[in-house]
Amino acid sequence: MVDPRCLDGEPVAGAYAHVCALADDEAALPYDQPEVQQVRRDALAWWIPLLGDALVCLTTFALDESRCAGAVTVLREPVRLDDDPFARLFSPTLVRTDIFCAVPPPAGPVLERYAGVAWPGGRFEPDNRS
Amino acid sequence: MIAPGERFPDLDLPDHTGRARRLSELAGGDPVALLFSRGWWCPKEQRHLREVTALQEELEVAYARIVVVSVDAPEVQSAFRAGLGARFTFLSDAERKWLARLDLLEESDTTHEPYRPTAFTLFPDLTIHRRYDGFWYLGRPTNEDLRQDLRAISAGLREDFER
Repeated sequence: MVDPRCLDGEPVAGAYAHVCALADDEAALPYDQPEVQQVRRDALAWWIPLLGDALVCLTTFALDESRCAGAVTVLREPVRLDDDPFARLFSPTLVRTDIFCAVPPPAGPVLERYAGVAWPGGRFEPDNRS
Repeated sequence: MIAPGERFPDLDLPDHTGRARRLSELAGGDPVALLFSRGWWCPKEQRHLREVTALQEELEVAYARIVVVSVDAPEVQSAFRAGLGARFTFLSDAERKWLARLDLLEESDTTHEPYRPTAFTLFPDLTIHRRYDGFWYLGRPTNEDLRQDLRAISAGLREDFER
């Protein structure tokens, strides 16, 4: 699973996907593990700001309710790839892609996931006060 | 004066990276602590935002947001935010687009023409829960004030908050 917003809209042609993941179930890590939490903090604190307008979208890969299989950061230009904090946990690969859409970056500081959706996607139901 | 019970305007401003954002999008369905700040140069703002930044450790797991608005340019906000260690969003009103419309001009500072320190706690639909006038430092919300407000808002939003 990815943040569904990344695939819902007008795709950005010729983008660069920095995929930090391993095609191996055993390589997945619990979202609650400290290093997986810290990577998300780093993404909010400096990785996303460093990317600026180059960022198209960012999503983690959720295997299920609790496990993270990596992340992809999609860019208009292949900038700052060596800084990708997700590469600390999962091996990175750069590929060209035409399938990902532009998504506003997460506002922070929320790290927790919403009902199992891949971070930073999801939200609770709209305000339903009567 | 913008008061509790009213809907806060859906601010459209660039964030600390210069990207266009809307307040409703930043809320993302969660309660929000919205803080209007003079700017990086003010010792009171430095002190208060250091305290608020400490609250992010809690809000990162509590489904609540923090948004700061100031007249600093995005690149200045980005540096200030990094110095604070903040992981929430700053909005830049360097053009003073919303300053008069919100009636939040700090009239005593004719040099910077900044926002008057004012804080709001908001429901996700931007309805104002509480307002804090922080011209005097002690008028600002403490982290405990913000925690209590965000708890009250969350209790009103989440049907399963109290079982």
